Amino acid sequence: MKRVPETEQQPADRMLADVPLEEEVVLVRIDVAGEDVEPLLERGIVPGCRLCPVRHAPAGGPTVYRVDGGLVALRKETASCLCVRSSLEAAGVLDSN
Amino acid sequence: MNAGTGSAARSRGSAQGVGVHKGTPLVAVVGPPNAGKSTLFNHLTGLRQRVANYPGVTVERRCGTVNLSAGPVELIDLPGVHGLSARSLDQMVTRDVLLGEFEGDRQPDAIVLVLDATRLESHLMVAEPVLGLGIPTLVVLTMADELDRREGALRCSGLSKELGVEVALVNARDVATLQPVRVFLEALHTGGEEVRACPIVTVAEHAEGRGGGRVLPMIDLFAERRQRARELGRSAGFQAPRLSRTTQRLDALVLHRFWGPLVFAGVVVLVFQSIFAWAVPLMDGTEAAIAASGNYLAAALPESWFRSLLLDGVWAGVGSVMVFLPQILILFFFIAILEDSGYMARAAVIADRLMHRVGLQGKSFLPLLSAYACAIPAIMSARTVEDERDRIATIFVAPFMTCSARLPVYALLIAAFIPAQPLLGPFFGTRAAVLTGLYLMGVMAAIVTAALLKRTLLRGRSAPFVMELPPYRLPTARSILTRLLDRTKVFLRRVGKIILAVTVVLWALTQFPRTPGGETPPIGDSALGQVGQVIEPAIEPLGFDWRIGIGLVTSLAAREVIVGTLGTIYGVESEDEEAFELQAALQQDLDLGAAVGLLVFFVFALQCMSTVAVMRRETGGWRWPTLQFCYMLVLAYAGAWVANAIL
Repeated sequence: MKRVPETEQQPADRMLADVPLEEEVVLVRIDVAGEDVEPLLERGIVPGCRLCPVRHAPAGGPTVYRVDGGLVALRKETASCLCVRSSLEAAGVLDSN
Repeated sequence: MNAGTGSAARSRGSAQGVGVHKGTPLVAVVGPPNAGKSTLFNHLTGLRQRVANYPGVTVERRCGTVNLSAGPVELIDLPGVHGLSARSLDQMVTRDVLLGEFEGDRQPDAIVLVLDATRLESHLMVAEPVLGLGIPTLVVLTMADELDRREGALRCSGLSKELGVEVALVNARDVATLQPVRVFLEALHTGGEEVRACPIVTVAEHAEGRGGGRVLPMIDLFAERRQRARELGRSAGFQAPRLSRTTQRLDALVLHRFWGPLVFAGVVVLVFQSIFAWAVPLMDGTEAAIAASGNYLAAALPESWFRSLLLDGVWAGVGSVMVFLPQILILFFFIAILEDSGYMARAAVIADRLMHRVGLQGKSFLPLLSAYACAIPAIMSARTVEDERDRIATIFVAPFMTCSARLPVYALLIAAFIPAQPLLGPFFGTRAAVLTGLYLMGVMAAIVTAALLKRTLLRGRSAPFVMELPPYRLPTARSILTRLLDRTKVFLRRVGKIILAVTVVLWALTQFPRTPGGETPPIGDSALGQVGQVIEPAIEPLGFDWRIGIGLVTSLAAREVIVGTLGTIYGVESEDEEAFELQAALQQDLDLGAAVGLLVFFVFALQCMSTVAVMRRETGGWRWPTLQFCYMLVLAYAGAWVANAIL
């Protein structure tokens, strides 16, 4: 997967792959370049959406995330390209939207 | 950005064109995958459906007629898509059909846009390009019962007002709730006010107006779409439902680190055991019906060339293949249950780790599992694999999966050469074990081939893996029945065309040249026998004789043709015209090594010209299908030679 160079990161920002199960976060940036990003966007994984890891698949397989009332599975390498912020910290950002 | 979003609203009048159903309104059913589109389509059209392919591409085209008091309406069920960009063939076909740019198809007069009410915000975002086409649209929000049960809420009136089109909240499984859809379809005849084009301004237009023609970067475009979808959701008083408890509980089991793989293995074994062991009574019944009808015809018809053609050619050839219909239907029955229940997506998640290691991805699991039924829909469904390298690799290895056309060959040879003995109680015997072994051999070949490809010809970075997991749902009898009927029609069409033609030609080749007395020649001296003897030296090292050689050549049309071919050859050879035992005849001609060699040959060889043709279409040239055919032939020959040498 092609990654875009990381832009300036806020101290509170983390990568989705590092978020523990059942912690809800808000997507702030997608570090995936070109057309690779479209499958994520089409399934509602766009900046501002809420994501919550709910389950890890067996043997280091993909992790299942709750997104907008649905479930989506992502590999760790993809989740490592999604920059997120805790939903409480992002509340201000969301409200301003 | 997609091509549809910028288009101005189109008038209905311009949509009229030449079509199969002149004067009958054409309505496209569109929506994202798992929104309940096909369930709605099945409920509206009942069994009045036709399945075919779009000309020139292999996207399956399902059409059906709804008979209403005002007149009939033609529905077309388009592939489930997440958008209308040109990124995938499904999306391109959907877009071209909706724009009336698909050659041979007229533009739909209206659209029924099916969205999942439980995922309203993300589905509204996905559907925005469709609404932006400006074609009269009815927005159907499905899963009303699920939204209610999971304590979600929405008001259709608010959404309808914002969108400017009719919005109906339905439960696609409950006919009573579909009345608004019928009213909309009726209005296409009566010109009722329900039919009106969606006036919404799309995000692309919105952005152009605001930014002086600036094209939004993709992430910003989708972020804006999502923002608009949220606003629309708010105006509809949308309250997102909580996650389904059943789904959570079942996922805790099927994605469990210990139980998950066990459930996965259990499902695979259950499918294989049922298609081989539990299908037997149905197959015996079909066989008895074919034999009884053959006997009746033998007694009723006078001795003539026509009687010989009918009994030795058609009944022996086509009948030998028809016997396997129950087995093939049982396989499709399980695939339908696994897909409709939502388990298939979980299986893809479980398989992803392993698939990724060999160079594929979890999404390849769906096409590869479909390939157990038939490689052709599998190669088509590989389009859901968004990464081009992964898609080509999936297409390349799909024919290694044991398609249902191989089953007749496996079933015949296993029944003839493997004694039935219990291994693990009554549920798993030696024959099921051999069958499972053949399936596993195909899987292993696929794994090794994929790994080789991804390290050589298809080396490169891979796109993100994004797999949607639909909630678990009880599959409906209607949906499963419709799919089984579809498959039966496709199978019978194949039997009626390819297999019938091949068996008739083969029969004709067994009748000439006539003996000096004007009699039918012994089969070894017939034209067919002579062709077989030309082939024989090439396959002798494998332990095959000329009869098998003929079978291998004719089965290039379709694998199961070999059973019909051998049925015809041995049927003509048989003294007893009323009945002959194909298994017994094979036991006399093949030893165990050659029989296992033949099984191995069929595991690896690409004996299916339809697959080659679909490959060419899907990969855009002859390079991949040629490479695939030669590669699989070399593997098949080598495998059969080894089996014959060591057994």
